[in-house]
Amino acid sequence: MVRATRPGRRPLAAISVVIMVLVAACGGIGASPPPAEQTGELTVLDWAGYDDPAYWQDFKDTYPQVDVGFEFGTSDGDIYAKMAAGDQADVFHPYTGWIQFYVDEGIAAEIDTTKLTNWDKVPDSFKKMGEFGGKQYCVPYDWGFTSILYNTEQVTTPIDSWSALMDPAYDDHISMWDDGPGAVTVSSYIHGYDETAITDEQLATIQEEWTEQAKLNKAYWAGEPDLVSMFQSGDAWVAYAWQGAYATLLGEGVPVAYADPKEGRNSWVGVYCIRKDSPNMDLALAFLDQKLGEQAGTNLVNNFYYGHANQDVMSAITDPTLREAFSIDDPSVLEKTNFTPNLTAEQRDAWTAMWNEVKASQ
Amino acid sequence: MTTAPGVAATDARGGPPARRPTDGRRRVFWALLLPSVAVLVAFLVVPLVMIAALSLRPDLRGPLLAPFAPTLDHYVELAATPVYLRLLAISAGIAAIVAALATLLAFPLAYYLALRAGRRAPMLIILLLVPFWTSYLLRVMAWKLMLGEQGAINSLLLSSGVIDAPLSALLYNRLAVTITLAYVWIPFAALPMLAALQRLDPLLLDAAADLYATPARRFWRITLPIAMPGVVGAFFLVFIPTVGEYVTPLMVGGTGGTMYGNIVQDFFTKAANWPFGSMLSVVMLVATIAVALLAVRAADVRRFVDP
Repeated sequence: MVRATRPGRRPLAAISVVIMVLVAACGGIGASPPPAEQTGELTVLDWAGYDDPAYWQDFKDTYPQVDVGFEFGTSDGDIYAKMAAGDQADVFHPYTGWIQFYVDEGIAAEIDTTKLTNWDKVPDSFKKMGEFGGKQYCVPYDWGFTSILYNTEQVTTPIDSWSALMDPAYDDHISMWDDGPGAVTVSSYIHGYDETAITDEQLATIQEEWTEQAKLNKAYWAGEPDLVSMFQSGDAWVAYAWQGAYATLLGEGVPVAYADPKEGRNSWVGVYCIRKDSPNMDLALAFLDQKLGEQAGTNLVNNFYYGHANQDVMSAITDPTLREAFSIDDPSVLEKTNFTPNLTAEQRDAWTAMWNEVKASQ
Repeated sequence: MTTAPGVAATDARGGPPARRPTDGRRRVFWALLLPSVAVLVAFLVVPLVMIAALSLRPDLRGPLLAPFAPTLDHYVELAATPVYLRLLAISAGIAAIVAALATLLAFPLAYYLALRAGRRAPMLIILLLVPFWTSYLLRVMAWKLMLGEQGAINSLLLSSGVIDAPLSALLYNRLAVTITLAYVWIPFAALPMLAALQRLDPLLLDAAADLYATPARRFWRITLPIAMPGVVGAFFLVFIPTVGEYVTPLMVGGTGGTMYGNIVQDFFTKAANWPFGSMLSVVMLVATIAVALLAVRAADVRRFVDP
């Protein structure tokens, strides 16, 4: 709008001022310059790796002059604690289980989905992950499975249950994810507990179970690369794993299989949300929309082996390894999948404390 | 015992009354002191006070700077959960072993650099510091390559026929943490002992030899006492940060190698439970200071520092 306020000597300039003022009065969109000329800054609190422009290529191409900066969190708890402490990021990236806190604590802004051009390409089941009380707060981006990954040379009987993670037959070659809620999830599947209503007695049983498991566990993994390297070095044979690790190891020729446990696989979804008081609301919304774009999705699928929320991207996958990893040709796997429910603040504090006690008691 | 520094000290004390610094000089002194005090207050004292305050907060719900009703709940919970205090004791034990190992192994290094290296000393000291130019994480990762099931040590033992199956006990346990930490700290531990030994006048050793003191006796009566402030300094330089160490156990410690610092970190980063993590930090800080004070008093360091 700076141009419009300059005093114009020629009538043409004066007319254009009038037109621009009129257009501006008609609606906000007309007032802003076209995307390619928009400038500004956008800060994203994300997990390391997602800062690579490959995962926001569509936004970069559409808004080449917008300066996108990244801050990093090392876990969902870390990202939540930072946002709760007043981090000024415009956009942040939590995963299933940890999304509702942002709504309850008033951190996430409600999203006007009519402004998202890619919204109709997202299946309803994914949209639900960011929807609370009938309002959309977050936009789904990446998703994947959690199951048991195992080395088929060392483990000759196919694994068909989550209890393999506690099987003494694999002593000293098991690797569990370093995460309390993750451990509660596994135990719930094994014992048929209702994950959303774990009682104190059940939590005590779970703690005991994982304290025993620790004796068989080689090392807990914190990030996917840790897990991959433990399979490459032969230190781990059986692990709690996301399918990114499975696809990576398959690609490198390590003999691995990804179980279809009788209790069902676990599934997770990552979403992007906007901070309520963000001064860059329009840019942030555009960023979320472009996250659903084809390039950001295709790169995610090809490089991280994670699924993308845009259905067009998923149906375009031709690589047989990836089709296998996502079980695209076997819809029954998806039907048996358990989505991670949202934690309550009490569950978060109790389950993470339980896990830290497990770790501290070794 | 009268040593060279002691002589210098009596000179200063016994001389004419020291000139009182003029007001101008005093002003310069405070002006020069101000920046470092300001930095310390802003980035050490204030955060410590915040951590102490946070440890009294019931939970992390609501805005961070909102007022809250202080509670000792977390301290009570700690007393009821013995695993954390047990782990603190284990971590302090590991830190003591690491500090003792690093100090012991670094002493000959410092001795050589101070008394034998001569003109090559400056270059050798730079070489000693070369490892710090590479990333700490890289140096720890290198130990992973050494100690892993398919690592250098196992490969050597397997190919030489000493063992039939790879030893899995080398990595992912407290032993691996201890070895790696001791390695990482050796160059650090050498520095305060080097500084102390540089004050050793070789003439003292010559004089002792003239009086028929054996090499061992010269070491016990002259070298070690002069080096002692450096030895104690090196020990605590390693001990204090190692109690709260979390990176190394994360990388080479495995399931059984968890240290107290990992639990503190987890409460901050994984659990989003800053109040409990702050409480654990405060307890560790107080315990470490107490141990250091007790040890310094027991060892009576001032005996060596202030002859």
